[in-house]
Amino acid sequence: MTDLSTALTMASSTDPGMVRSHNEDCLAIEPGIGLAVLADGMGGYNAGEVASGIAVELIREEVRKALADTDPSRAEASPVLRAERVLREQSTKANASIFQSAQNQPQYAGMGTTLVAVLFSDNQVSVAHIGDSRLYRMRGDCFEQITRDHSMLQEQIDSGMISKEDARHSMNKNLVTRALGVDPEVETEIHSYDVLPGDIYLLCSDGLSDMIPEPEIHSTLETLKANLQLAADQLVQTANDYGGRDNVSVVLVQVNERFSTEDGWMSRFMSWLK
Amino acid sequence: MNAPSFWKSDWLIGLAIGVFVVLLSGTELLQGLERKAYDVGVRLASAEPSAEIAVIAIDDQSIANIGRWPWPRDVHARLIDLLAQSKARVVGNTVFFTEPQFDPAKNAGHADLLKLRERVASPTLAALPEPAAAEIEAIQALVASTEAALNTDRLLASSIRGSGNVVLGMLFQQFDREPLGNPDKPLPDHVARNAVSAAGNAVETPDLPLSGLGPIMPFAEIGAGAAGIGHLNNQLDIDGAVRSDALVVRHYDQYLPSLALLLAARSLNLAPKDIQVEYGKGVRLGRLTIRTDSRMLMQTFWYRGGEGRPAFAPDSFYDVLSGRIPASKYRDKIVIIGPTAAGVGSILVTPIATDMPGVMALAHSVSSILQEHFFVTPWWGAWVRWGAVLLVLLYLTVALPRMTAGVAAGVTAGLFVLVLALHFGLMSARFTWVPLMLPLVLLGVGHLALTTKRFLATERGKARSDGDLAHTNRMLGLGYQGQGQLDIAFDCFRKLPADVSVLELLYNLGLDYERKRQFNKAESVFRYIADFDPKFRDIGERAQRAVQMSNTVIMGSGGSSHPGGSLILGGGAEKPKLGRFEVEKELGKGAMGVVYLGCDPKIGRVVAIKTLALSQEFEGDELVEVKERFFREAQTAGRLAHPNIVTIYDTGEEHDLAYIAMEFVKGSDLVAHTRPGALLPLKTVLGIAARVAEALAYAHRNNVVHRDVKPANIMYEVASDNVKVTDFGIARITDSSRTKTGMVLGTPSYMSPEQLSGHKIDGKSDLFSLGVMLYQLACGQLPFKGETMAQLMFRIANEAPVPIRSIRADVPACLVSVLDVALAKQPAKRFESGDEMAAALRECLKALT
Repeated sequence: MTDLSTALTMASSTDPGMVRSHNEDCLAIEPGIGLAVLADGMGGYNAGEVASGIAVELIREEVRKALADTDPSRAEASPVLRAERVLREQSTKANASIFQSAQNQPQYAGMGTTLVAVLFSDNQVSVAHIGDSRLYRMRGDCFEQITRDHSMLQEQIDSGMISKEDARHSMNKNLVTRALGVDPEVETEIHSYDVLPGDIYLLCSDGLSDMIPEPEIHSTLETLKANLQLAADQLVQTANDYGGRDNVSVVLVQVNERFSTEDGWMSRFMSWLK
Repeated sequence: MNAPSFWKSDWLIGLAIGVFVVLLSGTELLQGLERKAYDVGVRLASAEPSAEIAVIAIDDQSIANIGRWPWPRDVHARLIDLLAQSKARVVGNTVFFTEPQFDPAKNAGHADLLKLRERVASPTLAALPEPAAAEIEAIQALVASTEAALNTDRLLASSIRGSGNVVLGMLFQQFDREPLGNPDKPLPDHVARNAVSAAGNAVETPDLPLSGLGPIMPFAEIGAGAAGIGHLNNQLDIDGAVRSDALVVRHYDQYLPSLALLLAARSLNLAPKDIQVEYGKGVRLGRLTIRTDSRMLMQTFWYRGGEGRPAFAPDSFYDVLSGRIPASKYRDKIVIIGPTAAGVGSILVTPIATDMPGVMALAHSVSSILQEHFFVTPWWGAWVRWGAVLLVLLYLTVALPRMTAGVAAGVTAGLFVLVLALHFGLMSARFTWVPLMLPLVLLGVGHLALTTKRFLATERGKARSDGDLAHTNRMLGLGYQGQGQLDIAFDCFRKLPADVSVLELLYNLGLDYERKRQFNKAESVFRYIADFDPKFRDIGERAQRAVQMSNTVIMGSGGSSHPGGSLILGGGAEKPKLGRFEVEKELGKGAMGVVYLGCDPKIGRVVAIKTLALSQEFEGDELVEVKERFFREAQTAGRLAHPNIVTIYDTGEEHDLAYIAMEFVKGSDLVAHTRPGALLPLKTVLGIAARVAEALAYAHRNNVVHRDVKPANIMYEVASDNVKVTDFGIARITDSSRTKTGMVLGTPSYMSPEQLSGHKIDGKSDLFSLGVMLYQLACGQLPFKGETMAQLMFRIANEAPVPIRSIRADVPACLVSVLDVALAKQPAKRFESGDEMAAALRECLKALT
């Protein structure tokens, strides 16, 4: 495994917000393997944080194991295919885990979580998402949303029932059409995109994207991109300044240089030197 | 991003401590420490004191016997006379004779006496006639003798002059104080003549001896006769102790020796002029070389003495004066006289004592000079000291941060001992003092600070990662528990600090184990909880019940005595689980395992669960192969969906127990209807056989061969006339495998000839078996029978069946012909398909009605 921690800088910040007492968001960053996971749990007494916790920790743990497993019989044609496979398998597993826990333990009944997870490999980023937690990308002057929410609102927008502007004031913002752990089966949406040095990826829960207008997220990122941690903290702070009605979580990933997860003799030599 | 790590870096902290400690190096704190170490070094060193030195102490006993202090000076005079008679080499008297005791200027009595002497000596009185003249003479004599007796100064002066070897002390009121201008008056001659010569030695400013101002000297009458006058000032160290002797003191431009130096010189018959001073280095005294520091301070050696005796045992002044100690003892000795009595004379703090009278300190100094016993700080001492500081700094900033705590502690301790050994080794073996406490303190403080910092950093990191880890483990545990990986979940939960919420998690895990009938695991979970809180819910009972259960329930690998691995039900435990199915009760036992009634809790569907304890029948590679085949067959059979075939819902494996969950069919198999007297009506039999044939036809079209068609595998419910074929492909799973001896899967009565011979079989084999079954259901007898297995197999393969009409005469001809075709030895001669056979049977059924 190539260590990606020099190619990628990651920072994260999470806060219960101004209204809620519990933080049902959960996130994890693993710059070394190029993984960032963010989940926004829901349902039940404290069960939301259990669901998001299970999802994040299971995926973090299992992806790490899966990437370390270099069984040649399972080798894919490309690292990206492998990343997609790992994300798909692990989100499916996490879904089953949360679902079973909810079935078996009454106090967790009805819990579920959204998920957005990125796994960087070979100059690409594979993103898996379920629900309304989002991935944004800032590339140069362009700040755009990469994931499409699995939410009632998005469906309404897509079908032209309401405009994007109206959407900001819609009542049923929080109705997601897909979530991890509420059904025995779930379809995880997985895509891969090319990565350029200088890209900044933003994973966030709806507590951020609902609170702050996108241009302001963009300008904050643009201003503070030199210090990623500060940017993450500032985004959370801004969301709280806007009211902080939900848990706010942010993961920022900055791409410093090109990277390849294929082990070249050079990188092996360098890692041997270290 | 790097800023915080820079400020927290070990080397910076090491450097900061270095600077801090070096800044402290001039303060009393560190200097005092250096001095204490010096004192220890002094006490560790040993040398013999000079035997030539004797001390006569003006002690409490003397004062008690002679009178209150200060004594009349004739007392001193008498002792000096005594010592002169016994030929002492040199006498040092530390008592200050700075003012005349007989002083008409201050004492009116003394003045009157002098006036009286003058008056009685007046010529008027001398002119008086006898006897008045004689009387006057007598008065004159009396006055003269009274004056002589009272003027003890003169007595002492004459004694000192007479003995010629008495050295007296003087004091500077201000010591170590630089003069601002010129002296009030020049030193009197009797003091000035003791000055040592600086001739031939250029005095460099930094090497100037200590300066003394405001001399208090013996007054001229006494001082004039003295063999020398030396100063008695002591340079107090930074901690107030005396460790040195200022051999030469500067008074403006004159250089005066200390009393100790003068005594030593006089004892060697050297005059002050013969004392050669090398400023900043030391003193040459005849053939003696005494090394000093730059300010002419000799670091005195302090003699410990031995066996409880002090190095210099003082004699009591009174004892000597009264003759109790013979004066001859002091022949050729350097005699030092001085006060030791309480309240008289100065008391000094020295490395070996905290209450040393000044006179004793003087003895040590004289001995040090004469024997060349003194400590020297060599020119390279400073280099070594600061070099050591630098090395320690390097060690702290470069080496220490790279070591583990244990190694660092070891190395630091080693360095510590090394420095201490160097310090004390140099002092005791070479009388060389290199102050090494600074690097030592730096080493200690630096090590402590860095390890403390490291500890704090790791502790904070640990506390943080403990929190993170706890969250991670809790979530992972829940996740794995959800996946049914209870063992991993238990491992995760065990890593959590056991609080109520964690015990709650563990309790649930224990219940999960119970549901899975892993009672020993459940027990260990409950025991684990009980270790923390024995009163947690019903943990005691739970644990106990789990023990009982794990003793009685044998499941999977533990159950060699129960082939088939029975699940024991009831007992109040959680409902056992096989995969996602809850096991309700046992339905029956098959050849390879038990059949349970189960329930899929998700959709509330009732299922029959057939278990096969494969691991008890097979081992190693074979087991793997059989399992693979089992699941492949089950998968194939699972594809079949036919009203007359039992539907398979799920297969799985738990604790080496393979299971198949299938449609639960009411009714029972046909075994009960195979005996004469319990036979079903012929029409029913034909109907059943036709539907079985159709089911087989469907299966064969889907490339599934049943392999084990027999009454036991056909479920029939009389009330609804419902027929279902069960166990497709599964029951004969072990056919081609070498089964264990004794593991015969029933008699092969229903097998086709090709199946018996081990050939590859197809659907026609099933049709043969169906023929056998039909024969048996129709007449209550098997078509082929044998006394032995071999006979049976031979008959199936070669002989025609027993004609059915010989058993049951009313069997219709159509059935006989169907049986003939079905039981043909050559597969090619049998029905083409199940459908064909079913059609023939329905034809026959129609013919019957």
